[in-house]
Amino acid sequence: MENEKAQSLFADEKFLRLLEAAPDAMILVDHSGAIVLVNSQTESLFSYKRHELIGSKVELLVPERFRKNHPVHRVGYMETAGVRPMGMGLNLFGLRADGSEFPVEISLSPIDTEEGRFIIAAVRDVAARRQAEEMFRGLLESAPDAMVIVDRLGKIRLVNSQTEAVFGYSREELIGERLEKLVPERYGEIHPKHRTSYFEEPRVRRMGGGLELFARRKDGSEFPVEISLSPLETEDGILVNAAIRDVSEMRRTEAIARMAEELKRSNAELEQFAYVASHDLQEPLRAVAGSVQMLQLRYEDKLDERANEFITHAVEGATRMQSLLNDLLTYSRVGTRGQTFAPTDFNKVVKAVTDDLAVAVRENNAVIRAAELPTLPADEVQMIQLFQNLIANAIKFKGDNAPQIQVGAEDCGRHWQFSIEDNGIGIDVQYADRVFVIFQRLHTRKEYPGTGIGLAICKRIVDRHNGKIWFESNENKGTTFFFTLPKSEQV
Amino acid sequence: MTLQKSPHILQVEDSQADALMTREALQDSDMSCRISIVEDGVEALEFLNQRGKYKSSEPPDLILLDLNMPRKNGRELLAELKAHPKFRSIPVIVLTTSRAVEDIASAYDLHANCYIIKPVDFLSYSETIRAIQAFWLSIVTLGEQ
Repeated sequence: MENEKAQSLFADEKFLRLLEAAPDAMILVDHSGAIVLVNSQTESLFSYKRHELIGSKVELLVPERFRKNHPVHRVGYMETAGVRPMGMGLNLFGLRADGSEFPVEISLSPIDTEEGRFIIAAVRDVAARRQAEEMFRGLLESAPDAMVIVDRLGKIRLVNSQTEAVFGYSREELIGERLEKLVPERYGEIHPKHRTSYFEEPRVRRMGGGLELFARRKDGSEFPVEISLSPLETEDGILVNAAIRDVSEMRRTEAIARMAEELKRSNAELEQFAYVASHDLQEPLRAVAGSVQMLQLRYEDKLDERANEFITHAVEGATRMQSLLNDLLTYSRVGTRGQTFAPTDFNKVVKAVTDDLAVAVRENNAVIRAAELPTLPADEVQMIQLFQNLIANAIKFKGDNAPQIQVGAEDCGRHWQFSIEDNGIGIDVQYADRVFVIFQRLHTRKEYPGTGIGLAICKRIVDRHNGKIWFESNENKGTTFFFTLPKSEQV
Repeated sequence: MTLQKSPHILQVEDSQADALMTREALQDSDMSCRISIVEDGVEALEFLNQRGKYKSSEPPDLILLDLNMPRKNGRELLAELKAHPKFRSIPVIVLTTSRAVEDIASAYDLHANCYIIKPVDFLSYSETIRAIQAFWLSIVTLGEQ
């Protein structure tokens, strides 16, 4: 009854048209909370027919869980009435006829009449906006970079959790603060100017125009960053999103890459040096040796014994120097010319070496025995070189008896330990460190010829394979050389 | 085949000591043989093309080629010779101090006829030269130049 009276109060054609023209669902409620009037947007938004709504309490449109408290708020608003959004900062929901909920924004305004105070509620479905917001937030959070959204005044409006992690501030410590909080102090003056000029002409671009940029953590420490800026058009005007990437790791990697490049270059230079040794240094040597020998041949009958001795020394010297140069070249190439590691069957390696040394074996009545050996990742050519040097040494430095050489291998978990045992003259252990040094010899050339490169090459090969090499020896009883090789390339 | 002038070797060699040793070695040989020596690849091409001071040069039956030389080195010359319709049939013996595997591989890759590392002492060098001479100029039947 009362409702009808109220309706007649608002039966004015112009008022009703106005109501229909509104984009939102408009609901007119009387002091008791009963619905007096709705527009057709209300019908479609809540899926009720107009006659189902008129006269019902407005709580019909409020989800069950809020229903109990709603009348209290309603009455409260009746008393203090002013135009304002409802539920300040809270997430509000509407309830459809089918029981489904949807997020809403509601704006309230009082209408005072001779029949008392009415409230008009404009209800807007904000599901789409909420979704967009959530997507935006999701996007923000999923970005790998720290994202800082700033307004024209340089106040931080929004940050993602990466920002917290990277800068060491909590969100609360940043929102509403000046962006310069994140900028090293020495840029404190220039930064706001750049910021202002960016707002003059906002477009997606990298910040700093190729300069190295730095950011400041909460603890005051600085770190190198890359920053990309993009404008965001919002209801509050233009905001700017700064995507900030910590590039410390990248800079470190770059530095390492530069060092590696440098090392590669110096290795190449060393290689060049080795090549020079192999050719350019040998040319003049050949000229000396060749000319002296020609002198000897052509003028033999005109020279005396002493002259011939001089010539012999000159030729020997030049020849020896040449083998030193060749050995130096071989030594330098262990590092620079090594092959990539591939599974290498050491039974085959030892077989190849024994075949190669067949003549020396026969001449010295040597016996080479090999246990079952493993297959390991290695540079096969270098492994042959390694065994060849060690076994050839075992034959060369034989004792009074015919050489007996035993090749073995032991599984030590992460690596294999190989051994080459002989019954030769042995090595005085006081030379333990020196034997692996390039051109280090323990005997006169008359006793044992050679440049002293063999074990140095062995050590370099084993080093390159991340292994260790050493020996145990009893003078006049024999020597055992040991070396290890890891089972996998990664150590 | 007609009986003709003694065979002609062109040695491309910038080391005068080596050039001298070659001459000396050939002197000791029973075979008669002529040798011409040029110092680098540029001169070698002038020689072969009978240009400049080599206007009256005779085409060689065999080329002894050093690898490392000024201006045009042995590899460059070898590549040019083996791409040349006329010169590619002349056997080229690379005679060098280099034992670098890349040098050996690249020489054969460029169709060197063989690769010989120069022995250090004169006696071995001399033997090598005479062996080359015996094989390439006596045992081998070469095409007409």
